Amino acid sequence: MLEINDLTVKYQTPRGALPVLEGINLTARKGEVLGIVGESGSGKTSLALAITGLSEGRLEGSVQFQGEELLGKSREEWERLRGSTLSIVMQQAGEMLTPVLPLIEQVMEPFLKKHPRQKDEAFRRASAMLHKVGLEEHSFYRYPYTLSGGEVQRALLAMALIAEPELLILDEPVSSLDALSKADILTLLEELTGECTVLVISHDLSTIARLADRAAVLYCGSVLETGPTASLLQAPRHPYTRALVRSYPSLYGLKELQGIRGEFPSLGERPGGCPFHTRCTQALEICAQQRPGTVEKEGGRNLACHRGGVVELLRGSGLKQRYALKGKGKDPYLEAVRGIDISLDEGEVYALVGESGSGKSTLGRMLAGVDRPYAGTVSFQGQGFFQLSPAETKKAKRDLQMLFQNSGEALSHRMTVHELVAEPLFIQEVGDPQTRREAVRRALRWVYLPDDEHFLNEYPHHLSGGELQRVALARALVLEPKVLIADEPSASLDASVQAKVIKLLLQLQNERGFALILITHDLALAARAGDRVGVMHEGKIVEEGPAADILRRPLHPYTQSLLGAAPSIGGANLAATGMPSPAEPAVAAAEGPNGKPACSFSPDCAHSCEECFRYVPPLVRVGFQKVACYRYA
Amino acid sequence: MHVNYWDELKGDRMGRAGLYMTGALAVVALGASWLAPHDPWAYVAPPLSPPSWSHPLGTNEVGQDILSELIYGTRTTLLVAVSSALFSSLLSLLLGLAAGLFRGKVERVVLRLVDVMLVVPVLLVALLTAAYLRPGIPGLVVLFSLLFWPPGARIVWSQVLSLKQQGHLTAARHFGAGTWYLVRRHLVPELYPLLAVNFIQVVRRAVFMEAGLAFLGIFDPSIKTWGLMLHYARDFVFTGAWKWWLLPPAAAVSFTIISFALLGYALESALDPRLRRHVHAGN
Repeated sequence: MLEINDLTVKYQTPRGALPVLEGINLTARKGEVLGIVGESGSGKTSLALAITGLSEGRLEGSVQFQGEELLGKSREEWERLRGSTLSIVMQQAGEMLTPVLPLIEQVMEPFLKKHPRQKDEAFRRASAMLHKVGLEEHSFYRYPYTLSGGEVQRALLAMALIAEPELLILDEPVSSLDALSKADILTLLEELTGECTVLVISHDLSTIARLADRAAVLYCGSVLETGPTASLLQAPRHPYTRALVRSYPSLYGLKELQGIRGEFPSLGERPGGCPFHTRCTQALEICAQQRPGTVEKEGGRNLACHRGGVVELLRGSGLKQRYALKGKGKDPYLEAVRGIDISLDEGEVYALVGESGSGKSTLGRMLAGVDRPYAGTVSFQGQGFFQLSPAETKKAKRDLQMLFQNSGEALSHRMTVHELVAEPLFIQEVGDPQTRREAVRRALRWVYLPDDEHFLNEYPHHLSGGELQRVALARALVLEPKVLIADEPSASLDASVQAKVIKLLLQLQNERGFALILITHDLALAARAGDRVGVMHEGKIVEEGPAADILRRPLHPYTQSLLGAAPSIGGANLAATGMPSPAEPAVAAAEGPNGKPACSFSPDCAHSCEECFRYVPPLVRVGFQKVACYRYA
Repeated sequence: MHVNYWDELKGDRMGRAGLYMTGALAVVALGASWLAPHDPWAYVAPPLSPPSWSHPLGTNEVGQDILSELIYGTRTTLLVAVSSALFSSLLSLLLGLAAGLFRGKVERVVLRLVDVMLVVPVLLVALLTAAYLRPGIPGLVVLFSLLFWPPGARIVWSQVLSLKQQGHLTAARHFGAGTWYLVRRHLVPELYPLLAVNFIQVVRRAVFMEAGLAFLGIFDPSIKTWGLMLHYARDFVFTGAWKWWLLPPAAAVSFTIISFALLGYALESALDPRLRRHVHAGN
């Protein structure tokens, strides 16, 4: 059992002693594989060096292995320890193999150090171990410089394991290898690390995901989040973990790659307070002043965040909206939204998909506070939006902006670009004319529009559709909102402009760090843009979940048919199902035999049965997805 | 859509004609005291003199110069017509806005009032009221303003209803704008062209009605107006004087009405596509 308590490592630099690791608390049980994830420069290797007694810095705190304090041991003691109970595979350790000795002799070395006189035994063990790591006999006497990277890595592994250590530290074991060797080594590692406690250090999330039982996220020398690997990576709670996971390319997630906004601070320029606050989208004042303590959360998760992890910004519960079809009073109503629960986290992109008439825009308008729901509540930053006083509502609207569906319509043709973009500032009484003008210029630069006097005095009818959309975007962003609800921001534009606007929107989302609800009828776009995707059908969310999961494994027949019908040019669709294309809203069929409204998709569904006509399927959790279909109920 | 009304107006032949004609009228009205050769109230020549060099249109039955009367009459006519149009348009705007914005009771009251006013014969009411009250210029302006607002109010009301659904109003409201801001920055600018057309129409009606009332003798006799000139000239039709006494004011009334009609027509044709679009949007 490895226990690290309050470990601090300081390096002496010309600018004084700078802490590279601060207050690290970690434990790894016997036989457990603990992953350490972090960007380069976060202090991962310093941690490994500190545990193995190789660190050149000044160490404080305690590192205990099997109850034995490791810090403060003498050089000799460390030598003994490293030979027997703990071994380390260093990053790019190929360079550390002696080029003048054949491979097997170097592999024998650690064993000989432990048992100096048993040369035969050492040879036997070394060759067995080399076999085990997948090296052929003809390689045993080769010199290191004749070996490939994968072979070197295997040899190093053999070297590390030959002394049968109880603690194995792997620093970036596979990061320099190609995909196939990587996969081989990872498989090997899974087999070999049976009994011993392993610390895997990597910037590569897939390595951690594959090997580690638990993982810790390291940023600027602090552990920000720890927890079981699967839940940590699938449902990250710390803003940094989420950003890190989001930056990682995966074959199934179609989402565009976005780095984490801002730059990784160098050692001398590490910010005070929470180390991540300069790049965090939800930082408060306290984050800059005080280091957050680690708090235990459910599911074995530990979190160091003043705000308790990613905050929920917007929530709609039981939202319903209906419109009188004809006249007023007793006439039939069109149920545009029929009871929706939806939530939006800080800095998240939620893509809302559905065909026209499914109630997406209606839902968006309710969430933005434009229209009052017929039933249900919208809470924004924990406060019921429609219960606010007029003054509070006005204030809340600064942080909650909407990009309207038809931007040309939403811009008054009697105002100049400057008047248009400055309008929210003017209404909200922000700043004086001079600062407003500056703010307008800044917002125009964000959306890559000219900010000169000539453009500021243009009227909308002189602008192209793409420019109008960007003016509307600049107007929505000029107040620097926390949430932007974009209703079909690209629908009316041609393909190339469409791509530009969407790219711009996502880039701005990343840079400015606002949460985004992207309303679209295009599933491909939703999957590319969204962290989460919600699929709407006739006023209900029928499926919701991480974008990658929805795309790879759509559960609801409607989602499947949407995927099947996804527009593509050339080549087959993602999922060519033989589903009938969703037809006209079947109002009549939504009434079951006993008068209860049933699953709205059932009339078009290939899997529909009697159940579907009888009961409204509830939204149930399946893995990380939620689906409303009787087949999963 | 953005239309430059001034350019449209200038580009149109009838619009241009209307502009020149109304311009000429305005010049005459403003410069009456310099243009008129004589004091129209003074006895300057023997009554009923035929035209001569010093009195191009001769004199009336009390020896006043008819040309000077005609010139001063322009002033009265335009003053009454333009101020009535101004006030009635303002009334139309206020009541139409109130009805369209607040809906409910306000709307019902305003609209029913409009309906009632529209079925009442305006000329008759004007005639009776004027005959009973014998108003001067201010009284006439008030009377006309109260009579002419309903059609305008109804147009404003329907426009406000359709404007309220437009994106830029929704957007402004979403930024937290209050009603007053919406009216000032978004509604009134959109209503300007409509009000302009309405204004011109009211001017036309007011000119006609003012002349009519005066012709019937229901007007302060001390004020110089074309209607009164017609009223007095009528008694002397049997003499030859009608040629220089009756015809000129009649021509002036026609000229004024035609000039405003041309202007109104041109303005309306400039606005027409917009109006059509809004009718569709409203449905």
